[in-house]
Amino acid sequence: MTKHERPAGGAPVSKDSARIRVNGLGKHYGTLEVFRNVSFDVGEREIVAIVGPSGCGKTTLLRCIDGLLPVDEGEIWFDQQRVTSPLPGVAMVFQHFGLFPWKTVYDNVAYGLRMAGAPQAEIDKRVPEFVKLVGLAGFEKAYPYQISGGMQQRCGLARALAVEPSVLLMDEPFAAVDAQTREILQFELLRIWEQRPTAMIFVTHSIEEAVLLGHRVIVLKGRPSGIYETIKIELPHPRTRATLREPRFAELRERVWGTLMAEAQKAEFELEKP
Amino acid sequence: MTEANAAIGIPATSASAAKPKRAGSALISRLIAGGCILLAWEVIVRMFAPAYVAKPSNIVMVIPKVMTDPLFWNSTAQTLGAVAQGLILALIFGTIIGLLLGRSVTMERMLRHYVNGFYAVPMIVILPLVTLWFGYTGAARLATIVFAAVFSIIINVSDGARAVPREYLEVAASFRSSKLRMYIEIVLPAATPYFLAGLRLAAGRALIGAVVAEFFAAIGGLGHFILYNSRTFHHAEAFVGVLLLAGFGVGFEVLVNWSTKRFLPWYRRDDRGT
Repeated sequence: MTKHERPAGGAPVSKDSARIRVNGLGKHYGTLEVFRNVSFDVGEREIVAIVGPSGCGKTTLLRCIDGLLPVDEGEIWFDQQRVTSPLPGVAMVFQHFGLFPWKTVYDNVAYGLRMAGAPQAEIDKRVPEFVKLVGLAGFEKAYPYQISGGMQQRCGLARALAVEPSVLLMDEPFAAVDAQTREILQFELLRIWEQRPTAMIFVTHSIEEAVLLGHRVIVLKGRPSGIYETIKIELPHPRTRATLREPRFAELRERVWGTLMAEAQKAEFELEKP
Repeated sequence: MTEANAAIGIPATSASAAKPKRAGSALISRLIAGGCILLAWEVIVRMFAPAYVAKPSNIVMVIPKVMTDPLFWNSTAQTLGAVAQGLILALIFGTIIGLLLGRSVTMERMLRHYVNGFYAVPMIVILPLVTLWFGYTGAARLATIVFAAVFSIIINVSDGARAVPREYLEVAASFRSSKLRMYIEIVLPAATPYFLAGLRLAAGRALIGAVVAEFFAAIGGLGHFILYNSRTFHHAEAFVGVLLLAGFGVGFEVLVNWSTKRFLPWYRRDDRGT
């Protein structure tokens, strides 16, 4: 907690509240250009949601930011460090959960800490804390196959949070769970974020989810894709179920929808022309 | 019908209630099959074969005699001891080589065909070689056992290491796992089911290797016991040895299955890959 409260001393000029800076990023697989010239910042306590049609490279972009994939153009900075491989302080939550089936909930949550070389005493202290934070207390000894998809992703979230990252990367984390569970997990995430605010990049294909969670929503589209528009989401905090009923929420959702669909519709009309 | 269906869905309570019944009926059908085979054997030998050909009743009669023969126990201990030693060596080398083969393209290119080639070679052909190197000693038998067993472990472990889901490796990379820990904590456990399949094959082949070496290099042991008794027309005694070998095969299978359930509770064929 205290870690996030210190002022960002020594951070680069003018953007001193940015935790992640993405500069003119480009990526291609062979001759297929995935995205080009992607630039944005993420503040220390900011949630940036990225939406885009499937196949637009959202997930690839996130993997580049985590340092899992090399980039072809531009650069990514995490505080003063250039990202070329996964860095401590950045943790990712995966769409496929990525839990190890041979490890219990406890050991899965402890995995990140173990890899970071945390002493056993610290693991013993932190793991129960985070298991409880995500609502999995009592399931420490369960194996992933014994718990539901929603609980598995809670476990994935606890594993990421346990290393106390200052940047959380969320790769469509709730796409693989059912609609009700998804809603529950969205508000759980908001609750946890209010307790432990971090920089967060949340990739999703759900417009509603992006508007509910994001302080800003970045719309990616085109081929190769790029940032089409960035929409500031001026909704009050903390965001709760009540947020969903606000007229402003509906407006913003329509706005993002309109932005995302404009090109698709344009293409459709073009097809219908003789 | 409905009860049986319910038992599939809910593992904990109903399955344990249904299990003894299923196991019991399996045992009964097994005993009936065994009884029929023995009966047919007895009848055919009594009707058509000379007196010195072993029949089940003779074998039962000589069991007490064989059981009190120190040579029999000595031979059994020798063979089993050699098989155990050989299997352990094969496991260690097979696992290491298998992991390297499965995860390193260079190693795979260099060694794949040799491994497959040696796997296909009948183990008996190396006997002249190992007796030349080690003499007619226990070491020659040990070498034959290792040769017989190691390739099935290498092949299975390398297949398992290659089949490690990419998601697991991605999570490991994201949490900054070192290469070595990735092998030990991710690749090895993920390959365990393959490893066990290899172990089952290897155990059978190791036993064959031991007996073959004992037959042809006259090194004592159970193989020699069987050969000696057959050649001196003690066919019933020889068959006690044969039955014991068959018993080892079954016993090892039971042991592997039991330890899979006991130590790999997460591994269930029906829902792998999540």
